[in-house]
Parts: sequence; C-alpha cells; structure tokens
Amino acid sequence: MYLTSETVETLVEQFSKLPTVGRKTAQRLAAYVLKMPREDVVQLAEALVAVKDRVMACTICFNVTDNDPCPICASAKRDRAVICVVEEPNDVLALERTGEYRGLYHVLGGVISPLDGIGPDDLKIRELVARVAGSAGGDGLSEDADEPVTEVILAMNPNVEGDTTAYYIGQLLGALGAQVTRIARGLPIGGDLEYADEATLSRALEGRAGM
Amino acid sequence: MRLLSLRLKSFRAHAETSVDFATKINLLHGPNGAGKTNVLEAIYYLCLTKSFLTRNDAHALQRGAQFFEVDGTFQGEQRASTTVRLAYVPSEGKRLFRNGAPLVRLAEIVGELPLVILSPTDHVLTDGGPEHRRRFLNTTLSQARPVYLDDLLKYRRALKQRNALLHQIRRGGRLAPGTLNAWDEELVQLGGRIIFRRRQFMEHFAGFLAEAYRLLDAVGEEPTMEYVTVASTHDASDAESIAVRFRDKLDSLRRRESEQGRTLAGPHRDEVIFRLGDFEVRPYASQGQHRTVGLAIRLATFLYLRNRLEETPLLLLDDVFGALDARRAEVVLDLLNSDAVGQSVITAARPEMLARHVQFGTGDHNAIALADGSVINSSVTTGIDRSESLEKDEVNTVDATG
Repeated sequence: MYLTSETVETLVEQFSKLPTVGRKTAQRLAAYVLKMPREDVVQLAEALVAVKDRVMACTICFNVTDNDPCPICASAKRDRAVICVVEEPNDVLALERTGEYRGLYHVLGGVISPLDGIGPDDLKIRELVARVAGSAGGDGLSEDADEPVTEVILAMNPNVEGDTTAYYIGQLLGALGAQVTRIARGLPIGGDLEYADEATLSRALEGRAGM
Repeated sequence: MRLLSLRLKSFRAHAETSVDFATKINLLHGPNGAGKTNVLEAIYYLCLTKSFLTRNDAHALQRGAQFFEVDGTFQGEQRASTTVRLAYVPSEGKRLFRNGAPLVRLAEIVGELPLVILSPTDHVLTDGGPEHRRRFLNTTLSQARPVYLDDLLKYRRALKQRNALLHQIRRGGRLAPGTLNAWDEELVQLGGRIIFRRRQFMEHFAGFLAEAYRLLDAVGEEPTMEYVTVASTHDASDAESIAVRFRDKLDSLRRRESEQGRTLAGPHRDEVIFRLGDFEVRPYASQGQHRTVGLAIRLATFLYLRNRLEETPLLLLDDVFGALDARRAEVVLDLLNSDAVGQSVITAARPEMLARHVQFGTGDHNAIALADGSVINSSVTTGIDRSESLEKDEVNTVDATG
C-alpha cells in the first residue's frame, strides 16, 4: 500500500481486476472518480449493481437481456427462418452494427476447449439443436415455432477452437437436415492488400470466388 | 538482405552494445564469455523472434535485468530499410516493433528477414533425435512460406487441445459424443496441409542438398532424404487425401491413444531419414560424416531460401571454423567471399586463420573484437586509415560497462 488513503487503494485494486486495466490505468480511473460529482458516482455504482440484478439470459437465444425473450427474439421484423450462432453477446453487437443481418441469434457462451475443461455440454449447443429440431417438427406451442429454420449461420472466430466448435455443431445440425453455413474469412475491407499479413492473404487466395 | 547495425540492451553479457556491420564478412572475435555468440543470438531473435540456444526467453536476460531489448536496422535488396525492435519483459513476454509499429502477431516477421545459422552442433541433424529434423523442416518452411507457420501454430494448438481431451478420456471422463471426432477433423485438416508442404519442400530441397555436398567437396555418395509420415506418396498426392489418410491412422490408433492420453500420429511425430548412398546416416555414419552432412544441410538451406525468396538470407556461423579441417574451412571461407553468399556474421575465439584468408577492415569485411560484453575494437574503415582505427574505439563502439 503506497497511497495515503486505504479507501482509494481499495478502489484502485477493484479497477485493476478488470480486463485490459493495469495498475497505472486503475490509479487514473480512481483519481477521476474522486473528482466526479457525487450523483455521477452513484449512477455508475447503481449501473454496476443493476447489471447483476436485472440482466438475465434470453431463454431463446441466450443473449443478455433485461426482458425475456430479448428484443431481437421478440421482434416481429426479424427473419425467424435464419439463426446466426455466435460465441459471445459482444459478437451479436458486432453483427447488429452491420445492419445487414435481419435473422435471429444463438449465443453459445464460449467455444469447445478441453484445455479449459469446456465441452459441448457446457455451452448452449443442446439448446440450439432443440431450437432447430423444434422448428422443423413444428410442436405448435407458439406461433414462432411454426416457422421452420431454413439456415443456420455459424459465426465463430476463425481460430482452432472456433473451427472445431463450428465443425461439431455442423455435424449435429447436418444430421437434422438443416442447411448450415459458415461465414467467409479473408481480407478486411478498407485494409489495403499490401498491408494484409501473408497468412490472411493466402487464405483469401485459397477461398477466391469466380466472377 | 543486409544487417546494417545492431543494438543490444541488458541482453546476456551485454549491458549495452552497438555494432555496425560491413557488407560481406563480419568476424566477431574475443575470448570465451566475451558475448560473441550472444550477438548472433540477438540477430536470430530479430529475424525469427526466438533464440537458438534456449526456449526460455528469460535466460537471455542479463543478470539482474528487468527486461532486454534488441534492435537492428536491415537493408533489403527489394525493400527500403527496416528497423526491427524486440523487447522482452518476463511478466509481459515479447513484443516486436517494425519501424516503430507494434506487430499483432510475432510470426508476422518470420520470413521477411531470412536467416540461416551454422553451428558446431549441426551434427544433431543426423545423429540426434527426430525432433531436430522436424525443427529443421519447420524453421526452413516457416521462412519460405508464411502460411506454413500459420498452419503449424494452429496445429500445435489443436494438438494441445486434442491431447487434453485424450487425457480426460484416459481418466474416465464422460464425453459428449462426436467431441473427439471434431478435434480429429481440425487436426487432420491442418496436419494434411503441413505434411503436403513438407513433402513438396523435400522434393525441392534434394537438389540443393546435393549441390551443397558437392560444394563442400565431400567424397563418396551424395546424401538423399526420405520423409516418413502417415501417408505414402503413392496413395495421397494432395493435402486433402493426406488428411483422409491421417484420419484413418488416428482411427486405427484410437484405443492406444485413449490409453496413453496423447496423440500418437501426425506431423509432430514424423521423421526424416537421411542416407548416403544405400546406408542410413543416423545409425551408421562416422562422427566426421555427421558433421559434414549437418554442414551440407545448413548450406543447402541457405541455397534453398536464397532461391525461393527475393532476399538473400543472412548467414550466421557460430564457432564453425574451430571444428573444420583446414581444407574445408577454406572452402567455406571462399564461399562466404563469393557472390553466392551475401552478408555473413562469424564468431571465432582465434581469428588468426580467418585473417590470413580475408582482408578485414577493407570496407567489405569487418573484424570486431569483443571482451566482457563490449565491443573493444572494430576494424570497419570508413575512409579512416586502418592502423589508426586499430588504436582507438570507433563510432560504433559503446561501452556501457565503464
């Protein structure tokens, strides 16, 4: 302890537990909080507690939400025939920012990783299979369930764990007769060809398309 | 490609050292423990992001230092000059900067600054375990093809994951059906590509190995190589069909793998057999033959990379001349002096023999004396009379120990 206030030190310690926040950044944040108006600090504190108290997982797609089902699953404007499978809630945000995707989501909550002790049963894979199978069978419990899922898009990260998880899910859903697709990988738009790293460029070459 | 200058900070014996390099042969000489090999190690770090002496980066820290830093300026034949800086802090690992910009992946630099090192322990290429031969394949191919390194790093990750899974199976853990199958798929796809590229490389490399062997003026039959893997050339001619064979192999090993808790086939278990005529080098060659074949493999690697890449690789020779007979030493020196080789950096405890053959201090060649982790003398002449430059320290000399 090298600060004159134990209270400030406690706050610094709490901040430095956050990802990407080091000791120095934590000190700066704490100093900033000291100068903030009291009501702003109260709002911040309440917001922090509220995410733990009020936020839940949507029982359909397992995205974070205040209301169940979540606004996307509840929306009448979404295409219910398409489900995009992602690893984390943040991936939904990224895809929503594109404004291009109008289907539904399914948040797995991670990827298969034996090194971290995470198997398929620790993810929302069984729920996904039930969702797709249920739609095909048309159990008639609700109006939504009547619309069959025609495509499942797998949007896992393009790394070893993401690829394996996608393959695993692809096998399960393929057995149900669902059409399963995987998002393409390649060059970032706006990134010049000359700045792309060789591995990305080679993959983009491999996956080239006719025109 | 040419290395213009190098700076080491808190690296092994060097508190702070700067070295300027001449265009052709650079000789680092001085007593044992002067820090000669550490200069080569630092160059190796910049080009390949790791050491050739240790797998633990902390070993390269100067005693008591909190971090080390190496930076070098390279002049390409095709490119403008590039400055590469590598910083290592034990708690944060390595970070690499190219012209001041941080690299997201260390692997990005590999192949851009090609490098081949010759060392007195190269006989392990033929008399050591198969891991030495796989490392030779990996280091060479990673420099020749960036995609290879990308696949290799992914393969290692997939292997680690699959082994963790097999370990769970061995301990009787319950597994969702199809899990191992999914990891098999990832492993065989990556492995298939790796094996395919290794095999392509071996075919291409054979000619360079024969050429290097002739250059060394070695007597007897020329060396040949054979790659031993999960699929033979006849029944699998592309990455896809190699992946199929690899999968069959894993299927046939399933019970043993579950018992042992690890993956028993694949690129990480493959072997390269070197032969001289009909006989296998590994079990039957003499010590002298192991040394010759090892040297030939390294020289062939240089010839191969020079042919394959736009840039001529930098050639490092770590104390190689001490182990060579006079005739072979002359052959190697002539080669370094020829147009076939670009720039080289050599370490030697006793420079007299080399000084008889190479005119150091003529601008093309430079002799640098080291002692206690500092440059004490450099014979680079930039218009300065040679006798004068031997008397006082040069501009490129920084002695931080004083």
